[in-house]
Amino acid sequence: MGYDDTLSILVVDDNPLNVKLLETTLVKEGYSIYKAYNGPDARKIAADKKPDLILLDIQMPGESGFDVIKTLKNIGATASIPVIFLTGVSEIDAKLEGFELGAVDYITKPFHPLEVSARARLHLKLSIATNSLIRSQAEKLQQISDAQSAMLTTPDKYPDAKFGVHYLSLHEAGGDFYEVLPISDGIYGYFVADFSGHDLSTSYLTSSVKGLLKQNCSPIYQPLESIKMINDVLVEILPTGKYLTASYARLNRKTKQMKIICAGHPPVCYVPAVGEPRILEMDGDVIGIFKNVLFGQQTLTVNPGDRFYMYTDGLIESTDKKIVWSEGAGLMLAACTAAKGISLTDAPLHITRLLKPDTEALEDDIVIMAIEV
Amino acid sequence: MDLKALGENLGLEEDEFIEIVEIFLDTAYSDVKKLEDAHVSKDVQAASEAAHSLKGSAGNLGFMDIANLAAKLENEARKKIISSIEEAIPLFNTMLGQIKDKI
Repeated sequence: MGYDDTLSILVVDDNPLNVKLLETTLVKEGYSIYKAYNGPDARKIAADKKPDLILLDIQMPGESGFDVIKTLKNIGATASIPVIFLTGVSEIDAKLEGFELGAVDYITKPFHPLEVSARARLHLKLSIATNSLIRSQAEKLQQISDAQSAMLTTPDKYPDAKFGVHYLSLHEAGGDFYEVLPISDGIYGYFVADFSGHDLSTSYLTSSVKGLLKQNCSPIYQPLESIKMINDVLVEILPTGKYLTASYARLNRKTKQMKIICAGHPPVCYVPAVGEPRILEMDGDVIGIFKNVLFGQQTLTVNPGDRFYMYTDGLIESTDKKIVWSEGAGLMLAACTAAKGISLTDAPLHITRLLKPDTEALEDDIVIMAIEV
Repeated sequence: MDLKALGENLGLEEDEFIEIVEIFLDTAYSDVKKLEDAHVSKDVQAASEAAHSLKGSAGNLGFMDIANLAAKLENEARKKIISSIEEAIPLFNTMLGQIKDKI
């Protein structure tokens, strides 16, 4: 050891034999190894040493591997470390739960040490490739000198995406923007965002973000991963103090699944065809400031006719009337509920008029997007 | 039983494998003791956990006789049956003794 670029792996198993077996194999491959025999030690070592990969046993007395990964994924410093689960449990449910919690792979015991080593190598490579992809995307975007005109996607471009939008920009270089992305057959991504500040660099940044969305919102990445990758690039290229709040929704009309990511943005309103409308309240960091971020995430099973409204804070905040998010979201929900019978095309404008009857006195840009399942 | 071949199968040198087998014997004897205690105290949960641990360690190193017997006990313990433990204990001790003699 002593080389800065030695890759390190944290091995976590309550059975000392498994730890020794993995250690012996992986040390021979040139990795440096940290060992933990229980959950609390694993969490401590992961936070202190930030290993490049974690091999984590699921069934451990006390804190299980599932408990450990939940904590790791909720702490910025450890959230991006790839975790491979190691377990005797071969049931499909446990596997799915592991993946859902953020594991990159699964190895069923009894394992062959050489298989573990091959998979560790694969996931280290993937992790390194992802990091270098982020760096090269940042470089490419920095090379774009001219601000491309930020063309707004209109509903007639993607009729299958089934959305309506009302966009009002007060400034030449508006801070608000939106994008709709065809991801795959029956799967669309919807993005509504607000840049801090309204200076001229904003329009250049808007086109950068649109480029990043195109590159990173693909079927192979979960929505949370897409937004994290975009965050990592923006951290590199945004001027100090500049940041972005956003809601990103990915709707799969085939599986009837809606995944929503919140990045410091006003909460999405959900108006189901049947049932109570509600605000999807979530905490989440803003995009472009921190390398280690935590975004809010919710997954909903949806039905045809259900509507989602994504919007920017100009619609519900008012410095004049001293209205802030918390009350504003309640007003928004009432307005979205009131728009239930209105067509998808007209609903956004209808809601805007309900909330901002006096368009003369607008204080900020406005974007409101309605999505129907 | 050929320790060298079992080690090679795992990609390990003989001396590395022997070091690992020594750790295995420690944990295995401790699992057998736990099984014995669980049988006495009729603790099916503890019996299942000890059998699970033994099954995993033995299976990983290729000691399949031990792994299979432990798997049988684990399955039974999950169904709240622990009567077979009594006759399994001396079998485990014999098999572990044979491994011990080889190193």
